Amino acid sequence: MAWETVIGLEVHVQLRTRTKMFCGNRITFGDPPNTNVCPVCLGLPGALPVPNAEAIRLAVRGALALGCTVHETSVFARKNYFYPDLPKGYQISQFDRPLATGGSVSFDSPDRGRMQVGITRLHVEEDAGKLLHDRFRAKTAVDLNRAGTPLAEIVSEPDLRSPAEARAYLTTLRQILVYAGVSECSMEQGSLRVDANLSIRPAGTTRLGTKTEVKNMNSFANVERALEAERARQIALVEAGHRVEQVTLLFNAATGQVKPTRSKEESHDYRYFPDPDLPPLVLAPAWITEQRATLPELPEAKRARLEAAYALSAQDARVITAEAGLAHYFESVVDAGADPKISANWVMGEVMTTYNESGSFPVPARRLAELIGLVRDGVVSHQAAKRVYAELVQSPDQDPKAAATRLGLVQVSDQGALAGWVDEVLAAHPGEVARFREGETKLMAFFVGQVMKRSRGKADPKGVQPVLTEKLR
Amino acid sequence: MSIGLDEVLHVAKLAELAVNENEILRLVDQMNRIVNYVAKLDEVPGDRTAEPFLAGPKAVMLREDVEVTVPLARPPSAIAPEFLEGFFLVPRHGAMEDQ
Amino acid sequence: MTAGTAQKRGSGAATARETGARLTEAAPLNAVLHWSQDLLDAEASRVDAMPTPGALAAMPVALKDNIVTVEQPTTCASRVLEGYLSPYNATAVDRLRAAGAMIAAKTNLDEFAMGSSTEHSAFGRVKHPLDPTRVPGGSSGGSAALVAAGVVPAALGSETGGSVRQPASFCGVVGVKPTYGRVSRYGLVAFGSSLDCISVFGRTVDDAARVLSAISGPDPLDATTIDRPPMQVPKALPDLRGLTVGLPQEYFPADLDGGVATALRRTTEQIQALGGDARLVSLPNSAYAVPTYYIIAPAEAAANLARYDGVRYGKRRVGPDGDIRALYRTTRGEGFGEEVRRRILVGTYVLSAGYYDAYYKKAQQVRALIAEDFQRVFASGIDLLLTPTTPTPAFKAGEKTEDPVAMYLADIFVCSMSLAGLPAMSLPVGRSEGLPIGAQLVAPHFGEERMLAVAQVLERTLDPLAEVR
Repeated sequence: MAWETVIGLEVHVQLRTRTKMFCGNRITFGDPPNTNVCPVCLGLPGALPVPNAEAIRLAVRGALALGCTVHETSVFARKNYFYPDLPKGYQISQFDRPLATGGSVSFDSPDRGRMQVGITRLHVEEDAGKLLHDRFRAKTAVDLNRAGTPLAEIVSEPDLRSPAEARAYLTTLRQILVYAGVSECSMEQGSLRVDANLSIRPAGTTRLGTKTEVKNMNSFANVERALEAERARQIALVEAGHRVEQVTLLFNAATGQVKPTRSKEESHDYRYFPDPDLPPLVLAPAWITEQRATLPELPEAKRARLEAAYALSAQDARVITAEAGLAHYFESVVDAGADPKISANWVMGEVMTTYNESGSFPVPARRLAELIGLVRDGVVSHQAAKRVYAELVQSPDQDPKAAATRLGLVQVSDQGALAGWVDEVLAAHPGEVARFREGETKLMAFFVGQVMKRSRGKADPKGVQPVLTEKLR
Repeated sequence: MSIGLDEVLHVAKLAELAVNENEILRLVDQMNRIVNYVAKLDEVPGDRTAEPFLAGPKAVMLREDVEVTVPLARPPSAIAPEFLEGFFLVPRHGAMEDQ
Repeated sequence: MTAGTAQKRGSGAATARETGARLTEAAPLNAVLHWSQDLLDAEASRVDAMPTPGALAAMPVALKDNIVTVEQPTTCASRVLEGYLSPYNATAVDRLRAAGAMIAAKTNLDEFAMGSSTEHSAFGRVKHPLDPTRVPGGSSGGSAALVAAGVVPAALGSETGGSVRQPASFCGVVGVKPTYGRVSRYGLVAFGSSLDCISVFGRTVDDAARVLSAISGPDPLDATTIDRPPMQVPKALPDLRGLTVGLPQEYFPADLDGGVATALRRTTEQIQALGGDARLVSLPNSAYAVPTYYIIAPAEAAANLARYDGVRYGKRRVGPDGDIRALYRTTRGEGFGEEVRRRILVGTYVLSAGYYDAYYKKAQQVRALIAEDFQRVFASGIDLLLTPTTPTPAFKAGEKTEDPVAMYLADIFVCSMSLAGLPAMSLPVGRSEGLPIGAQLVAPHFGEERMLAVAQVLERTLDPLAEVR
């Protein structure tokens, strides 16, 4: 039996605001527990929510970047349930009149090439607090610092057909939202969370199977692993003659397995209704248009432009635009005068390595451009330039040439010096000289190597060959 | 429209309200009385398209994204039923560890 | 005192002593949940040190115990909040203090403001100041009783479906509900969020007007406040010439209590004698006000009271299973009284899957129809509406506690204004067999100033102590 997998993803991203969604507490990370709280996010009697304008603006921009229709009027709703990390006993979210609907994300599926996933909706809501289960014996500890943090929930259509495809979608979704400046989108830091829905059906059929929900994945790789495990579990279940139950499962990164949660609660009845503490959110059409007009260049558009403007290969353009910062850096280096192709190689090489390690671009773009110029002019070899680069990473705002000089890496192009080394080499290898003159022209490489050795790498290889050619005549 | 015992118990569970045995039947009776009374609204012709009533402003006012620390006259530890090392404490329940 | 005149500086210290003595004397009413001479003296020191006396000039004001204060507990007359000390003050409290008032006491109420008699308090019922066998009305019965007993000239209560006007009528004092959104709800413990209004009791219309003026105005901490300036204390009117008052026929049923009917007839005649015009009008959807209210208010309440879970504050009780569900169910099951539990269950029921459209959504639509009735009438040349506040004078304790619906019908004349968000007030206009009777005035949105001005004229010319029969 051939099975088709149907996957939909719900992604929660933390909006990059300074303060919480409904109160003026700062967004912090790592503060002592329950120190960043106020009557509103503590859910004290008499407290009331007031929405954060910047959270709305970022959510709108995220929705527009995902091609959604932003609705001029949307409504906050209460999602009612009891849990210790939920101070009010309800979460303020949006239900039947969300901020945005009907978008799509284009991305490269590893299975099906270029494709589109529909975005059903994007809405805003507040985050809950944090629970720690293992800190105290027989108790759960509650920290409400995070309660009230602004989130955007992005729901995809169930258009994904494999765990690998789901991962690729997530990568592109994240990329778009980071480009748009909406969220840091870091699963490690908790500013991006994924809940997945998966069902199976016989290949070629259209009726949806019972879907399960998979949670607790802390990286895109683990999303893929978890969905692989769940798909396998469902297939095994059905092939053994059982039915798939609508359950929630948690992924265990250590074992790679998914397990149903222990709580046997029936599916929640959230009793949504419009929050009477919050009048409708009304956005002026002109303002929405302005947000769309002021979106930064998004990944797809940037990739296409870089490919065209700088004659980059499709692959190179894709790599460079994977991160907004990387693409921006690349363009800065080119703007500072460096050759695009060479800049691209540097950016995809050394610069990307540094960025992956440190999360930043310590070497100012113009300095890298200068360094590239030094290589072009033969002042340093490419190998030497890498060492200069490493030096610049340590102490960024140095003149690259001065650094190269200090490190003794400046190549010698002086004709006299080169001639001197060439003479020494030719004198030391008369046999090879004779053979060369008799036609073994491939010995040129040998001579160049010897000159490099004799000069301890300082000779400019480009200048050595003409001198040799002249003297070997 | 009549509410049965099971339904009242289900609603009590949703609302996290313990209902003790001696009062449950009276509660069912009272709830039925109330619900039958409010069902009077069925007399009013329905209008699916009507907008719900807004008592206050027609559009929500938004707050600037600036930090405003509301000073708490007493810290969470002063009002919490159980508080240790900066955390509110509740009994642990197996089902909750999974989240 | 008319608008604009500076208040004479009262002596905070003397007021603190007097008020303390009166509170002690009034103890048998059980109208107060918290007060202390120390706190009164602290208030006195504060106002006496103020550079100017403010609009309220050392006026002692009592607060219904569902308005949060830092120095005194806020219990909402519930065991679930027994001893709860709020870490912040309600905006209304801050504004009262800024205007020079002294916070006198926290008053008794129906638990979480759910009730019409103050018999549903976890700390005992409040006795009517004129007849201890009767109720003062509710849910703001404690505040009404204190003002009626002459302990304080003004008190704050709250209204969701008439909980200030109704007890004002029963107790023979002035009770004013502002336009929804006129007074900040920040710090008012929420019951029915789209209905709740902090409202004012006063010994006189002027007392109530001055307090309302001090606490009104938009608040950046409450997104449901409307961006209009605070209410001004109205200028005195010489008479009621040019005023057109509407009498909605639905509020004068044939079986209206004889004393109430007579009092309202006298009030109408007085309006006409003062040069005003009275006309019959109709608000046909008022018949649906009480059932509409008893869907919307409990639904909002069920969500608003979910936070009382014993996790972060309040009185925690853990059931025998000892787990988190036992914490929730026992804290709430044992902490909430019967009426509160009933309303939470009704509210949860009408919002639950399958019932939302039939009940809650339908109720919101009917609510819009009720509001439209008022709009239509006010647009047709009517300046104010006049109705009885309550169908009868104060009833006896225990009379209506058996059948919840019987209790709900006590609000039949005051409920629709709450649904429509309109300002309304009760003015004492006479007595029937010794018990006070109130007449209700209703104004269009933001029409408090004229409503109070008209009430003041009537106050001058009607004797609230006169027997109507």
